[in-house]
Amino acid sequence: MDALTIAMPKGRIFEEAYELLVKAGYDLPKELDDSRKLIVEAPNENIRFILSKPMDVPAYVEHGVADIGIAGKDVMLEHDRDVYELLDLGISRCYIATAGMPNTPMNEVTPRVATKYPKVASQYYRGKGEQVEIIELNGSIELAPMIGLADRIVDIVSTGKTLKENGLVEYEKIVDITSRLIANPVSYRLKQKRITELVDKLRKQASL
Amino acid sequence: MTIQMFEKPLGMRDDFPFIAKKKAELRANGTTMIQQAGYDLLQTPTLEYYETIGKISAIADNALFKLLDSQGETLVLRPDMTSPIARVAASKLLKEKMPVRLGYYSNVFRAQKREGGRPAEFEQMGVELIGDNSLYADAEVIILAWNILKNLDVKSSRFVIGHTQLLQLILEDFGLDQPQIEKVRSAFVSKNSVGFESLAKQLTIAPSQWESFIGLMSTSTVEEWQQWIDPHNARQAALFEDMKKLKKILDRSGLADAVTYDLSFNSHMTYYTGLVFEVYGAGSGFSLGNGGRYDGLMKQFGLQVGATGFGLRVDRLLEIISAVSEQEEHTLILFDELHEDEAFDEAQKLRLQGVRVTLQFAPAVGAVEEFSKHFSNVLRLEGAN
Repeated sequence: MDALTIAMPKGRIFEEAYELLVKAGYDLPKELDDSRKLIVEAPNENIRFILSKPMDVPAYVEHGVADIGIAGKDVMLEHDRDVYELLDLGISRCYIATAGMPNTPMNEVTPRVATKYPKVASQYYRGKGEQVEIIELNGSIELAPMIGLADRIVDIVSTGKTLKENGLVEYEKIVDITSRLIANPVSYRLKQKRITELVDKLRKQASL
Repeated sequence: MTIQMFEKPLGMRDDFPFIAKKKAELRANGTTMIQQAGYDLLQTPTLEYYETIGKISAIADNALFKLLDSQGETLVLRPDMTSPIARVAASKLLKEKMPVRLGYYSNVFRAQKREGGRPAEFEQMGVELIGDNSLYADAEVIILAWNILKNLDVKSSRFVIGHTQLLQLILEDFGLDQPQIEKVRSAFVSKNSVGFESLAKQLTIAPSQWESFIGLMSTSTVEEWQQWIDPHNARQAALFEDMKKLKKILDRSGLADAVTYDLSFNSHMTYYTGLVFEVYGAGSGFSLGNGGRYDGLMKQFGLQVGATGFGLRVDRLLEIISAVSEQEEHTLILFDELHEDEAFDEAQKLRLQGVRVTLQFAPAVGAVEEFSKHFSNVLRLEGAN
């Protein structure tokens, strides 16, 4: 049985995906007590998990240090990496949307958009035929319209609670996001049997 | 930005001596096999016109290094070898001999925008077989690539083979128009199953054909392709017969377990017109090379001839092949003024015997003991004796 290295985002997505794998019949260690570990082994299945920042998963997979990975579609849209997108796992469902203070039009001279997703934001506004200035931020994007840094933000929305609590409203939905199973093109060919088997098992679980 | 003295432009790499040596061996090994297979090596210029090679090469425009010559013409550093060779063949060589078999080992240049890990200059070696339409030409180049990898001791090398024309005909059978076909093909290129399935939902695929359409993406043998072949379509049937024959030849040549026939496999390079393939091996996360039939490229040079070939990425091969053989003999001769003649003669004699010799004036070396450690033999011709 070929050894398989799987890159996973730390935190909630990892837990959901792990559960999905267990349900799909994979014999994985029951307890993952030490949450600071970066590498988790599942010797019974000859699988090794690499735990990384969600944004970094496609990089590990592209370079082949992980054969497959679980990555949010948002990350894949933002970082254009050469990986195969094999399956929509249907977990961590959310969407990317534009938001801002209620009843505020965009500034006509210098419309500004703050976001963690500069590429997605820029593509969206260009697609609408609008030229905007993008300001890249790393977190607490909601602050930007509140303190006058930007007219709009482009960010992930899952429940809309954060927006509401900060007095922001959603304007347009850009794209739906779920977690995807991705593969390195070489691993996909060299370990095709194992990877296809994994995809088939997960597909059954994901469609339930 | 201040550039520090040690910096190189993005994507440029130094070949340190041990890498340069490994590379020289790989080159000798590969080019010998290419020549043994009946191919003549050639070299084309580093600079080409943007108007011709730059546009024809199918490398993205922003990946080209461009510069201006003294007449104001835009030049490019050659981004690939296939199009320059097609240029040479079309303008000259094919008039002398046809089919013509050409091989190369050359550096090519592709600008990198992203982070490190990808070279902007790297070497490729490969062949082009121009003027032969038959499937035997396709088989020949695949087998040659396979033999080169085997000779370099690349582990678990694997070829993935597709057929762009057959795929085109099959997609037409599903009633798709050209823009739709392009979308499907590009989902296939990036093996985007999720994107393909959501695209399939938007297309007008009859419910009875749904399963068959989705199945296009998951074939791995030629036999599996059969279900999409319309026996009444002469073109399709003939191409499929060719594929079966090709498989037979490859099986016979030792590739039986090394090939995946993936009907959905194709290339973002639009000049490929028939069989296409990509090469993988254990140890590299990136493909080791690719190839295929590119009659479309020859057409751009005004010729209606068949052409097929492959290119292997030397930079990626270097990362996965094992280190150079054992420590070689390397003799150091240390001499002083008194033994000058003797030292020169000895060095000459040993070199004629095939020994690698470094001749060093001893007083010029600061730490003799340290320096001597780099050699397998040390001969000291100095002092009173």
